[in-house]
Amino acid sequence: MTLSQADRLDDVRWVTQCALSRVCGGCAMSLERPVAFVGTPAEVGANAFHLPPLHVGCAEDLRATREADPSWQITLTSGFEFVRPAKEDDDRRPTFQPNSLLDL
Amino acid sequence: MAISDVQEYTHLTDEEVEQIGRELDAIRAEIEDSRGAKDAAYINRMIKVQRGLAAAGRVSMLAGTWGARWAPRAQKPAVAAGAVLLGLAKILENMEIGHNVMHGQWDWMNDPEIHSSTWEWDTAQPAEQWKHSHNYVHHQFTNVLGYDNDIGYGILRMAREQRWSPFNLGQPVYNAALATLFQWGVALHDLDIERIRKGEKDPREMKRQLGQILRKGRNQILKDYVVYPALSGPRWKQVLVANATANLSRNLWSYVIIFCGHFPDGAMHFTEEEIEDETRAEWYLRQVLGAANFEGGPLLHILSGNLGFQIEHHLFPDLPSNRYAEISQRVRALCDKYDLPYTIGPLHRQYGQALRTIVKLSVPNSWTSSDQPEPPTPSRERRRRSDAERPPRRTELGGWSRRAAS
Repeated sequence: MTLSQADRLDDVRWVTQCALSRVCGGCAMSLERPVAFVGTPAEVGANAFHLPPLHVGCAEDLRATREADPSWQITLTSGFEFVRPAKEDDDRRPTFQPNSLLDL
Repeated sequence: MAISDVQEYTHLTDEEVEQIGRELDAIRAEIEDSRGAKDAAYINRMIKVQRGLAAAGRVSMLAGTWGARWAPRAQKPAVAAGAVLLGLAKILENMEIGHNVMHGQWDWMNDPEIHSSTWEWDTAQPAEQWKHSHNYVHHQFTNVLGYDNDIGYGILRMAREQRWSPFNLGQPVYNAALATLFQWGVALHDLDIERIRKGEKDPREMKRQLGQILRKGRNQILKDYVVYPALSGPRWKQVLVANATANLSRNLWSYVIIFCGHFPDGAMHFTEEEIEDETRAEWYLRQVLGAANFEGGPLLHILSGNLGFQIEHHLFPDLPSNRYAEISQRVRALCDKYDLPYTIGPLHRQYGQALRTIVKLSVPNSWTSSDQPEPPTPSRERRRRSDAERPPRRTELGGWSRRAAS
């Protein structure tokens, strides 16, 4: 698995496709259990992530890239909710809410 | 009639649309918070029953064929009973278990087996391709013309807005073939034949997908038409026919249920304008207007994967299917409150309407009239955009998702 799709992790269409097709946002291959989410401490605290679901290996590779936010943390889960933006949301990106957190 | 503005069609104010969204969010949150052991017990029970039916079916066929020497009169009834049991097992596995597990409805259980990433179902289409063609393309672009490949499965004209061609005259025949061979039609669904025909499909991705389909199809054929008949000894033909009957019954049943979800009168189609900048509440509304339910008892709903609650399934595709019945009461009340259409009827009527549409749309529009209900008050006339004015098809629909590393 390689991070072949890393340049479109912010693309809402790609993020939506990953969420519904159950594919990894980093390499576009089928997700595995556990599912990894990468996010800032604020995203971890709110349990609402913007980057698509990833393989654990892809999440680690993403954190190791030059463009990575140094504050990024990895959260593992078995399942997640995909939440589309509401009209009142300034941020038009969908979010992912892990629903069965697992220990790293 | 295809709808290009759901809010205009329903005559709701901005605030009403958002309030409907908030009320549906509240239903969702309530179910998520109350998911637990009872739901887990339900899916585990379904899997146990399904495996019991499959085992009983296979054993009954083997007992009938090998036991013919001692009980010749029991042979045919035993093989026939085996076919019925196996058909039920396949229906239950595909509809209530496989389809819903692959939506991620049970991922929250953290069960390594009952998980959207690991489930492989008893049908010819590889799970990975189903999750793309169904979970993403169909559920994200529900009933949007030119986007949702489930509108006619690439061979049937199911909306009056779709251009008629002489090819459509054969629709009743194509429909019968699709129903009979449904698992194989679905197996090819994610390939996007149209894109292949136009030479737009990435050849590497096509090769990868074809490889998956060939491997899965081969295993399905080996299981039902080689291995189990071979285990039955000299009377292998009877088991082969029984297995074919079980597969045929699953094909016909799943075809009927799926066609009842979006093609009865009242289930609307949409144009691409509708999905531009769609909010969550607007997305909810499109799901309500684009789907149709059917009535029935608990057994019918289980055997149809709870897709008799198609509206609720489209609103909340990843909530556990055993909760759709209770959700439907609240969704219906909400629709009544806001005077929204909620399409529902008995199974035979819903399928009859879908069949009538298939037959009527096999001929040009001018020969027939529309059966779609009129909106509460006439909506503003909109000129339909020509193909040249439409945006190009979204590349992720058939070109799929993978690109070579840049």
